[in-house]
Amino acid sequence: MAALPKRIIKETERLVSDPVPGITAIPKEDNLRHFEVFIDGPSSSPYAGGHFSLELFLPDDYPMCAPKVRFLTKIYHPNIDKLGRICLDVLKDNWSPALQIRTILLSIQALLGAPNPDDPLANDVAEDWKKDEKKAIETAQSWTKQYASAKLQE
Amino acid sequence: MNLVVRYEENVDGGFLAPYGTYRSNLDYNTEIVRNLIIDRRLSPFYTPLQDFDESWTDDELLIILSQLSLHSIETAYSDAEEEDDVDNHKIHKSTNYYKRQEQKAKLQSLVARVKDIQKEEENRYLEEKMRLKKQIQIQVSPDIPSRDLLRKLYRNATECPICFLYYPKYLNVSRCCLQPICTECFVQIKRLDPHPPHDDSSNEPGSEELPHTLISEAASCPYCASPDFGVTYDPPRLISTGINGSIKAGNYIEPFQSIPEDAVTSSPGSGTNVQPSVAIDEMRVMKKGAKNGKRRASLAADAPGVITVDMIRPDWEQKLISARNKLARKAATASAIHASNLIINEEEDDPSNSPRRRRFSAPMARETSSNRSRPGTNSAANHLRTVEERMIEEALRLSLIDEEERKKKVDAEERKKNQSN
Repeated sequence: MAALPKRIIKETERLVSDPVPGITAIPKEDNLRHFEVFIDGPSSSPYAGGHFSLELFLPDDYPMCAPKVRFLTKIYHPNIDKLGRICLDVLKDNWSPALQIRTILLSIQALLGAPNPDDPLANDVAEDWKKDEKKAIETAQSWTKQYASAKLQE
Repeated sequence: MNLVVRYEENVDGGFLAPYGTYRSNLDYNTEIVRNLIIDRRLSPFYTPLQDFDESWTDDELLIILSQLSLHSIETAYSDAEEEDDVDNHKIHKSTNYYKRQEQKAKLQSLVARVKDIQKEEENRYLEEKMRLKKQIQIQVSPDIPSRDLLRKLYRNATECPICFLYYPKYLNVSRCCLQPICTECFVQIKRLDPHPPHDDSSNEPGSEELPHTLISEAASCPYCASPDFGVTYDPPRLISTGINGSIKAGNYIEPFQSIPEDAVTSSPGSGTNVQPSVAIDEMRVMKKGAKNGKRRASLAADAPGVITVDMIRPDWEQKLISARNKLARKAATASAIHASNLIINEEEDDPSNSPRRRRFSAPMARETSSNRSRPGTNSAANHLRTVEERMIEEALRLSLIDEEERKKKVDAEERKKNQSN
């Protein structure tokens, strides 16, 4: 394996020494570009109380291209499909090398707090969301309880 | 070859080629960038420090600096991993495959040559540094930076917010939000490859549709996302060494008695008198200067002095045009195939004109088509037919090759058997 760029080493160190509340990111031992991530659902969202598992990978071109992030926990969200892929501008064309692992994970946490059914990835969820928002939020809450409760993972 | 860091090619203590932090995206126009650096319009490629601590003494700092190489050869060129070509798993390799392989081999030999030259350069640099250490002053090349120059440059090193490496504080600044960026990161930033607009229907997952058009937007500022990213550079006023400089890098002596350059803009009262405190003093002045000193406002992308990402990659327009042409060709082929399918379907409805017969007797097919009384469509139908014929010929050719290959294999196996017997 190629030597890890200084930037990745420093970012990892700073993630450990100065963690973001509600977010953990730990590199895997066999590949330091591969992170195991947990994000807590924002308290004012249907995902409150949820403890979501994600994986994050830093491609060779990082930081010139965005990290690859995917939800591993099942989640009912208009911008996250059933494979866990996330529709978020900063993960695609709006990526900037001045962003970091930390900021990307914060953006994902913010996306949980502000679902955007007008730019959907999971079309069925987005439609439910537009048709009957109350019901959709209830579904999201029950999925959170069922798949993302912290106790379940321990 | 312009990517080799040569120690003679230095400007104000930096160089004309990148240190090698990044392995890819080195497709910027090296000639343009070299000239911009020589003209002091872009910060030179300084050798970065992996770490920096303000509490280091000058001696500690200089020891660390003296151990740095010109280029990070090992990490930059070490494992250029063998990329898997899609055609590696196919029996019939396209002509493009051979072209790609040829290009890859060319690139590899080029990389190997650059690596060799860089190594030679590194050794010469090392020898010169050894001479400097042994105080054989007369023989030392004047291109080896003096201790004063190194101290002056790196004493207040700043971190580039993108690569997290430490550089002399004379970095480029974004034209819009005045954030620092080292030249090595700057040359990495470029337009996205031509792509369909975000709301194009071809973006839908699973859509086979061809995009209607391709666009390529100018790169935005990585810090504030303003469009048309560009930087400006203020060369240090008291350092002017190397190419087009007033003295050689080795002859630089810090002008202790004069006023530090930062003081010119801010408090004139903070003169320097005692040598050891110069660094500390200057640091204070610097901090003050950042707060009180004249802070230039944001500049427009076309303002004089602004270097944009398109300026160092002037071929972007050509790339966009060729990508669009490629798309147009693809679309034309797709509609031709689509149209010919329609005609075949029509013909299949007509039992007297079996397409199978026509396929294997091309001249006859032309006859039948001319016999048909469908005015106006004849020439078009003929054209489509020839396209179709070509496709069939190609299929036949491929299956013949297949058969030959199979025979060869059988032969080879039999030979093997005979030999082992």
